[in-house]
Amino acid sequence: MALISRTTALVAIAATALLALAAQATNYSLWINGRGGGGTPGNHADWRAWGPATVNAGVNKKAVNWDGFNRISTTNGGIRDALDCYCTGPNWCYIAAYSAGNLQIGYALSLFGTSQRLKKNPTPNSAGQCSNSDGGTQTGWNIKWVNVAGGAGGGSELADAGDWAISEPLVSDLKTTSARALYNHNTTTGKWFYMYAGAKGTLYSFVLPGQDDEVVAYHSSGGVSGSSGANFCNPADWLCNDLTLGTAANQGGRAKWSWHSVQFRDNNEQFDHYARNNWAGIVGRVRADMEANAR
Amino acid sequence: MSPRAAATAAVVAVALAAALGWWLGPAEGEPATASATSAPGPALMAWPPVTARATTASLPAASAPRPGAPLSPLGKAERRAQLALWQGRLERAQATLDGYRTSAQYPHESRPIEEHPDQVRPFEPISEERALRMPGGTAPQDVKLLTTQERVFASGTESSRVTVALQSAQGRPLPLRVTRAVIREVTPPGATASTAEFTPDANDAGRAGDARAGDGVISVLVHPAAQGFGGFAGTVRLELLLEHAGQPGFLYFDLVYSPETAAVWLPGVREVASPAGIDFFVKAMVRLPGRYVVSARIDDVQGEPVALASFNAEVGAGEQEFRLPVFGKLLRDTSPAMPLKVRDIEAFLLKPDRFPDRVMLPRRAGVQHTSRVHAIASFSNAEWEGEEKTRYLTELTKDVDEATREVQRLGP
Repeated sequence: MALISRTTALVAIAATALLALAAQATNYSLWINGRGGGGTPGNHADWRAWGPATVNAGVNKKAVNWDGFNRISTTNGGIRDALDCYCTGPNWCYIAAYSAGNLQIGYALSLFGTSQRLKKNPTPNSAGQCSNSDGGTQTGWNIKWVNVAGGAGGGSELADAGDWAISEPLVSDLKTTSARALYNHNTTTGKWFYMYAGAKGTLYSFVLPGQDDEVVAYHSSGGVSGSSGANFCNPADWLCNDLTLGTAANQGGRAKWSWHSVQFRDNNEQFDHYARNNWAGIVGRVRADMEANAR
Repeated sequence: MSPRAAATAAVVAVALAAALGWWLGPAEGEPATASATSAPGPALMAWPPVTARATTASLPAASAPRPGAPLSPLGKAERRAQLALWQGRLERAQATLDGYRTSAQYPHESRPIEEHPDQVRPFEPISEERALRMPGGTAPQDVKLLTTQERVFASGTESSRVTVALQSAQGRPLPLRVTRAVIREVTPPGATASTAEFTPDANDAGRAGDARAGDGVISVLVHPAAQGFGGFAGTVRLELLLEHAGQPGFLYFDLVYSPETAAVWLPGVREVASPAGIDFFVKAMVRLPGRYVVSARIDDVQGEPVALASFNAEVGAGEQEFRLPVFGKLLRDTSPAMPLKVRDIEAFLLKPDRFPDRVMLPRRAGVQHTSRVHAIASFSNAEWEGEEKTRYLTELTKDVDEATREVQRLGP
């Protein structure tokens, strides 16, 4: 009897405590994976797509897992669920997106970024969905900025040429023409996309134009606008237009998507695309930035 | 996390730990054990240097080591590192605030066209350059494929013209042969095909969508409704096997197709001017209710692009108007020569969590409406205001203020 009454009291205390926490303004770091997935969708504590879970990857980090196989449109609901959970009401988010995760956050912001969102308590169920907080709504999500590692927002020529399985639904979205037509990439609702572009690619250099990280070329990882890809390189390459740092138009005049800024260009060709389950490659650069600035 | 939130979290954690200890502890009348549960204290404030490369050994954990004594060499070095860190945070926070403030001068649905460099001519064919190669194969460096694709999304009776041509590295046309052309549905994993393959007329003879015979440009028309895919919703794929001087190549082009008709355009564009700006209303008979995404290009009288006006909201079935606004301050800032022209209207029904995720409305290409002549001075110069803007400016200003205080505290 004593144990039952204690249990009841504990549940009440825990519920009160969780409600108190939910009402406080809290910042979160949301990590959105790329092709191949790795973590269980809906489980925001599953870091198998990235590396050791103990690593500092920004304040209150959450793994916004999706399967990395199906279409952006059919999996984006899970991303929006996470944004509703952690980025509404008093809570704010920093986003780290990797590879095709670039398409996920871009799609969500461009097509749903001005929609009315129900404010949520940041305590998701096993499906990654959260309960409503006060029944109120707000316009869009509370997002401070977006870091993008090896972004595939502009697609990859590996999807164009049939080097990846062309029966895979996501590969269709990763074709350069499809990725660039999927949504208006300039519409970020005023959030900065900080682009981190790796250049340690060798294996597919004859397929990927300009500099690449072995999966995406600079035209994509650097957020270069346009309906198709093009050659962009490091300044040391005199035979190819430079991918410029920041927001300036690239050498040759091609603009970047608005609100996209090249934060890191791999001049020394040190960073490839692969996280290797250890926050490696270009993901490591973004992780370091999240550690420093997502707080 | 804000200091207030951190303090609250710590209090809650202590309370929970104490409650857990009490719950797990001996009930009244039971013997107590010697062990005690201590609540975890708040984590030490992180001050890690930003590492450029991370290895397993160097990846920083979520908690940091205890700082050195303030006046020790280690303590001074840590303070310098913290100052650098906070200077970086201040720079980021200021850029975030400045960016948002710039963006929020105008509402989301009325933007300067300079923000949308690849949306100015939305109906031009997509041009790409490709290597002549098979999947997994190598590519000769002295030739390149030039391709165009009319559209990526189509509905109803719309078609998409695809062209392919081969050039030398110097731009000289080269002969190219299509050894196989097929259009097929892309069947989702686990499903069975519901349509038969179609063999299109890939030609350079001026037939079936080919603009000019014998110009070295091979054309293929993908026309789902006329090629057996009229009842199929999904990706319709054109696959081409190519050959030049013994070198094979493979290309494929995807057209995301929906046979549905979401809405039918109704004629005319209505215009309403006020100090807040000019609203252009395009009308449609909506058959499928839902979220419609509509955009139009606004040019000045000389045809110079000025703005991108858009609509993104849910509407019901029946006769509906989509409001495409040009904000007053945007008109004041750009001072376009009147009258304005509404051009190239693109629209689709967005179907969340589905594939295909959209049903396109027919393109309204070219100038659709010419506005009345309005005096630029008649429009307000006031910035856009709203709850969202207030929410963002409050939060982002708080971040700048906090980083500023920390830089001042740590500075020399």
